[in-house]
Amino acid sequence: MSPTTQGAIVLAVTVLVLLTGAPVAFALGAVGIVFLVLFQGTSSLQVAAETLYSGLYDFTLVSIPMFIMMGAAIGSSPAGRDLYIALDRWLYRVPGGLVISNIGACGLFSALTGSSPATCAAIGKMGIPEMRSRGYPDEVATGSICAGGTLGILIPPSITFILYGIATETSIGRLFLAGILPGLLLIGLFIAWTLLYIWLKGFRAYAPEFRYSWKEKFQSIPKVAPFLLIVAGVMYALYGGIATPSEAAGVGAALCVLLALVIYRMWSPIAWWEILRSTTRESVMILMIIATAFLFSYMLTSLYITQTLAQTIAEAGLNPWVLMVIINIFLLVSGCFIPPAGIILMTAPILLPIITSAGFDPVWFGVIVTINMEIGLITPPVGLNLFVVNAIAPDVPTRTVLWGSVPYVLCMILALVILSFFPGIATWLPDYLMGPVK
Amino acid sequence: MDRLTRGVRLISLACGIFAAALIAAAVVVVCQMVFLRYVLNETTIWQTDFVTYSLVAATFIGGPYVLMTKGHVNVDVLPIYAGPRARWWLALFAIAISLAFALVMTVLTALFWYESWINNWVSDTMWRSRMWIPYASMPVGLGILSLQYIVDLLNLLTGREPPFGMESTSHIPVIPEIEEART
Repeated sequence: MSPTTQGAIVLAVTVLVLLTGAPVAFALGAVGIVFLVLFQGTSSLQVAAETLYSGLYDFTLVSIPMFIMMGAAIGSSPAGRDLYIALDRWLYRVPGGLVISNIGACGLFSALTGSSPATCAAIGKMGIPEMRSRGYPDEVATGSICAGGTLGILIPPSITFILYGIATETSIGRLFLAGILPGLLLIGLFIAWTLLYIWLKGFRAYAPEFRYSWKEKFQSIPKVAPFLLIVAGVMYALYGGIATPSEAAGVGAALCVLLALVIYRMWSPIAWWEILRSTTRESVMILMIIATAFLFSYMLTSLYITQTLAQTIAEAGLNPWVLMVIINIFLLVSGCFIPPAGIILMTAPILLPIITSAGFDPVWFGVIVTINMEIGLITPPVGLNLFVVNAIAPDVPTRTVLWGSVPYVLCMILALVILSFFPGIATWLPDYLMGPVK
Repeated sequence: MDRLTRGVRLISLACGIFAAALIAAAVVVVCQMVFLRYVLNETTIWQTDFVTYSLVAATFIGGPYVLMTKGHVNVDVLPIYAGPRARWWLALFAIAISLAFALVMTVLTALFWYESWINNWVSDTMWRSRMWIPYASMPVGLGILSLQYIVDLLNLLTGREPPFGMESTSHIPVIPEIEEART
């Protein structure tokens, strides 16, 4: 049987097994084992245990639970509420300031936690009722939070970038930097659309009657500034080449836990367990996928499926941009069904040789992949953020939330187009600060 | 039956606590390593290995706890939109395939561990650590994962738990962020 036929069978079976709702980790592992035995015999099982282990034996992976713990410490504290309050107090007089506060708070909180649903839940709980009470239309209140929440996987530190970096052996520091300007571009597009939409609808976001005193404004800073400083410090340590991602994240995690204890007086063992519990759940889930995806990739490589696919596409002589559009459509569709960690770990090793042979920059492609994953978070049928927002505002019909999110999906597609015409938006900052890739 | 479910859940919870302790230990050791390296300018020997092994062990030993708390992500489009009957069959298939994988890997990793034990394998790093210790986490974790899956399977077959933990009329996945957003 030719590798192409084998590849088609593997793809079909993987999709079917995933669709049953089996955990991505075990589905990939099971498919990997079955096809190794089917095409290479039982002797191939001798390396299965070692392959599973070596998928995790990498010091860079240590950064994943560390960044997750950083986010869990901040996420389980009321820092999201305080961040929102701080931004609102400073921006409430600006026309449409509440929109800027909401989306800005999403951007900042996502930098702190690295998680999209967590950002959506933390900022949405404050932002959605506040926007609705100040008369903003429901579709704007819910849609902007759904979209703002997705920034969590693009603005560094981002677990999605770490996974992409590991799967493609791309510098994680470079990827983090590459996410900053596209993240700001998206924040800008989201704010611009929201302001334009409410203006077109005839809604005038007048400044509210009340005023915050300077004392109230400054009082809001000390609780959130230390967390922002720690994240900035971690980034500085990373880019200054002072520490590796795992070391910087480890110290950052310890400091964030300490700050949560000191600032929010989270002394109870229950609060500590909550931080550790959510860190363990999320880390184990991701690391398990990494281990079994390694087994899955090993199967693909040892059956020459990856190599044949890359070669076939290279020989087809497709225009690189046509190829990129096809890959984007593929990622968008998969993103609607499969969680980001699963897609990246399954597809990145296959797509990377195709991308590099077509002359695209792997760091730039990392940003493109991540924005595609963001779109998946707010598109039906399984957009996680939609469910989170629905739980925050159960009285807003799902239809309204969905329609409210559609323009933001278009903003993200626009960002993909802009990034394709101006790849420098992603690659300039890492090249400027870390030097061009050798 | 109830006793079996409770017993296995208790073991899974203990696994979760152990995995959380390993992650916490890893954070402390990373901080100690950074202090030694960057403040005292000393070389470190065992820290990198310890942290990496801790996380490998946390992954496998924490697996059953994450399964018990429905934390392993899945593609839930069909389970969400399927009717109660189809959802039950999907859950049965999903558990069966995952259980088969866990059982096969338990045997394979146990054999791998045994080989490292009798041949006294040590790491090729400066620490020269005995490899049977980190390798042991794989058969232990995957073995308990299999047990947790057997309990899940029995609970599904006897109707004690709804498929995917979702109520028959619900079309919303069971994840902590949604629970948190509701409160």
